[in-house]
Amino acid sequence: MATTEVNKTPEIVQPKPSTISNLFKNIWFLYALSVVGFLTLWDIAAVTKITGEFLPRPVEVLYQLVDMFLNPLAGKTLLTHLWFSLRRVLIAFVIAVAIGVPIGVFMGINKYFRAFFKPVFDLFKPMPPIAWISLAILWFGINETSKIFIIVIGAVVPCIINSFNGIRLVDESLYDAARMLGANKRQELIEVTFPASFPAIFAGIQISLSMAWTTVLAAELVGAREGMGFIIIMGMNTSKPAMIIGGMVVIALTAWLISVSVSYLERWICPWKVDLNNNQ
Amino acid sequence: MISANREAKVTVTNLTKSFGDLLVLNDVNFNVGDGEFLCIVGPTGCGKTTFLNLLSKLMPPSKGNICINGEIADPKKHNISFVFQEPSCLPWRTVKENIAYGMEVKKLPQQEIEERLEKTMKLVGLTDCANLYPNQISSSMEQRVAIARAFAAKPDLLLMDEPYGQLDVKLRYYLEDELIRIWQEFKTTVIFVTHNIEEAVYLAERVLILSNKPTTIKAELKVDLPRPRNFLDPEFVEIRKKVTELIRWW
Ligand SMILES: Nc1ncnc2c1ncn2[C@@H]1O[C@H](COP(=O)(O)OP(=O)(O)OP(=O)(O)O)[C@@H](O)[C@H]1O
Ligand SMILES: [Mg+2]
Repeated sequence: MATTEVNKTPEIVQPKPSTISNLFKNIWFLYALSVVGFLTLWDIAAVTKITGEFLPRPVEVLYQLVDMFLNPLAGKTLLTHLWFSLRRVLIAFVIAVAIGVPIGVFMGINKYFRAFFKPVFDLFKPMPPIAWISLAILWFGINETSKIFIIVIGAVVPCIINSFNGIRLVDESLYDAARMLGANKRQELIEVTFPASFPAIFAGIQISLSMAWTTVLAAELVGAREGMGFIIIMGMNTSKPAMIIGGMVVIALTAWLISVSVSYLERWICPWKVDLNNNQ
Repeated sequence: MISANREAKVTVTNLTKSFGDLLVLNDVNFNVGDGEFLCIVGPTGCGKTTFLNLLSKLMPPSKGNICINGEIADPKKHNISFVFQEPSCLPWRTVKENIAYGMEVKKLPQQEIEERLEKTMKLVGLTDCANLYPNQISSSMEQRVAIARAFAAKPDLLLMDEPYGQLDVKLRYYLEDELIRIWQEFKTTVIFVTHNIEEAVYLAERVLILSNKPTTIKAELKVDLPRPRNFLDPEFVEIRKKVTELIRWW
């Protein structure tokens, strides 16, 4: 009885919070405040020209986006440019996953394979993919192949690393649980190794996708005639900062959309993992 | 060493294990009867888990043999189940799929699996959470899933490594009663390892007492009390005191 009363007291004493402080505890209000605040600061900076001539106002960027959406730029509208970049990313991403995941998985499973591949992989791993641009152009010329090559180089590394580590870090006790029930090597692999390492492999694929999206821009900055990187270069060459920023906004939005859809995919493929996230 | 009316199911001879210079098990010999509930008590760190790892063949012995039905134990041939000290459910399988796992590995017919699943889950009271994932249930629940999984595989030998070590006393009493019920139902041969003397005397038909490292069997004690047993029964207390006396190493 006494405890209840002690617990009750502060509730009664507590003053009713004012509406304003309530407002500042509303998450949605804070989200809106953050966006509006940012845009306002940007607009002020643009109008007062604090950073010089080349900062357009947010509305100008919006107009530019609408313009590119409706009227072709170098023969293609904004969506077509976006599609060109996306297509490069998707092709290279599929190739990178198809190469990287098996290599990483085999490196994790088989120690001879690991001994054979690891030294070379460790040598190439820290090399930034952009460093390959010149070589790729010399080898393949300025065309789709060289762009896709560079993106594959960038995207394959996280696939390999995560698949490899995912498999090596499977909890030993899970193997014991399978072994003591009489599982053979193949059953161990299918029932334990793969499902247990799947979240890590999937995370690698996710990183790989965003790496691909980053690299495509770099690849398109050099001699592309279409794509989001091209729009940005075009904006620079014609001194249209609104075009550059508009391109950046589209790139960011696309990357965000991709990562959201991938996490939905993950939720669908590994339900056991998502439940963990929701509970915590 | 065992009661005359029972055949020896498991025979352990000269079992020895050392890790480098550390001799953990030193020449252990004993038998387990068919369908017997054997408890092994020993001080913390004396090598109980190691002992079970050897019996289950997860670890090779340095010396000695384990025979089941007169043949050298082999996980591919014999059916040995293990309930680990830590919960060991597969996170990507639901409760039901986890319990079915051992039977699937052994390639039992689907219908047999379904029948045993239903019976086991009812016995352990897991029917309600059949479709939950391990991370959605408490760790005591998870341990019960591991126990259900082990029994459902109808093992020749069931090894249990302090399965209730982490649980609070009240829940432990409840699960111990439940364990006895399942054991009586399935008639499985069980080796149950614990450092809790009261638990051992409550569960066992026979108790083996281990010494400190290098570990040997120090003594053996029959517990011939009717079930359900009562912790306050003077006979029970008497046996508990005896075991406590035997386990002292100072
Ligand atoms: N793989 C190993 N390598 C080296 N030493 C080990 C290994 N496994 C166990 N040991 C040692 O063997 C001894 C017995 O360990 P074990 O885990 O079997 O004890 P236990 O009786 O199960 O302990 P607990 O009561 O804590 O569960 C310990 O001293 C431990 O350090
Ligand atoms: Mg132990």
